[in-house]
Amino acid sequence: MSGSGVPTWEEIARDHGRFLYTVAYRLTGNSDDAQDLVQDVLLKVRKGLETYRPGSLEGWLSRITTNTFLDETRRRRRRPVDVLPEDPDRVLPPSPGADVASAAETLPDHVQDALRRLPEEYRAAVVLCDVIGRSYEEIGEILDVPVGTVRSRIHRGRALLRKALT
Amino acid sequence: MSSRAAGSDFGASAHLGDALSALLDGELPPPMERGARAHLAGCPECVQELAAVDQARRWVRALPLVEPPFGFYERMLLERAQPTAGAFGARSTLGRRAGLAALGAAAAAVTVLGVGSPSQAPVSPAVPRLIEAHATSASVGADLLSKLAPAGVPVSFGR
Repeated sequence: MSGSGVPTWEEIARDHGRFLYTVAYRLTGNSDDAQDLVQDVLLKVRKGLETYRPGSLEGWLSRITTNTFLDETRRRRRRPVDVLPEDPDRVLPPSPGADVASAAETLPDHVQDALRRLPEEYRAAVVLCDVIGRSYEEIGEILDVPVGTVRSRIHRGRALLRKALT
Repeated sequence: MSSRAAGSDFGASAHLGDALSALLDGELPPPMERGARAHLAGCPECVQELAAVDQARRWVRALPLVEPPFGFYERMLLERAQPTAGAFGARSTLGRRAGLAALGAAAAAVTVLGVGSPSQAPVSPAVPRLIEAHATSASVGADLLSKLAPAGVPVSFGR
């Protein structure tokens, strides 16, 4: 930690690098975008763009990572070439492995693939809850939405995942 | 999936909907949790939906930590945290890879230079070029090492 208690990006890379990369990978769904997202997060940390409040360092990193991810996906969505369907309840196409993946033998790659195809807001809520283990209240603060919205996004995200994998 | 939200009192005509995931996560206030459990006792539809979202929840929670690519953070550390602003989504994959490759090459150069004395002036022409030139002009022979020796170890006979 630096004198002000703010972790340096070197400390984050050294002590929380695997955690940070995992969050980025679960959100983006591929290694290239995950690496770019991690670099953006560390750049924000290095430039002091994110206020650090002493507490859970991984919670702080989760917030920066998730919001950086959502900001970028919204920016992409505004570009005509990357327009996504607006209906959040749109049905996911079947996973490539869905027909062979039973409930008992669903592989991490299948789950990750289904996760990647969730609408971003649902994906972020599910990742924050089930990958990172944040409470609904914390997720609401991170995403700046009411707890009721968090509950809805998590539930719909899980329901879509289940549908995509069976 | 029903999105009919549940209040603290789950009536016979309503389904639990979003409250099912909150129930699994222990995020329902006690009165609502009691109401939800009472509702489940008489609603096969909600029991089925509960099992479905519980399965998805367990799948995601079972996902392992992901190792970053070998040397990913080390390259950034060598770069002294100078990643291009807006890297995520703003740069092409090819561009980022080229950047990291350049960083890797720079890191290798730093490592090599670090072995020698910092006071040594750069040699010009570079040793590899001398070796290459010597190998080209040397007589034909099978002993590559002896052909290269004069270029690597200059020897002076007499003054």
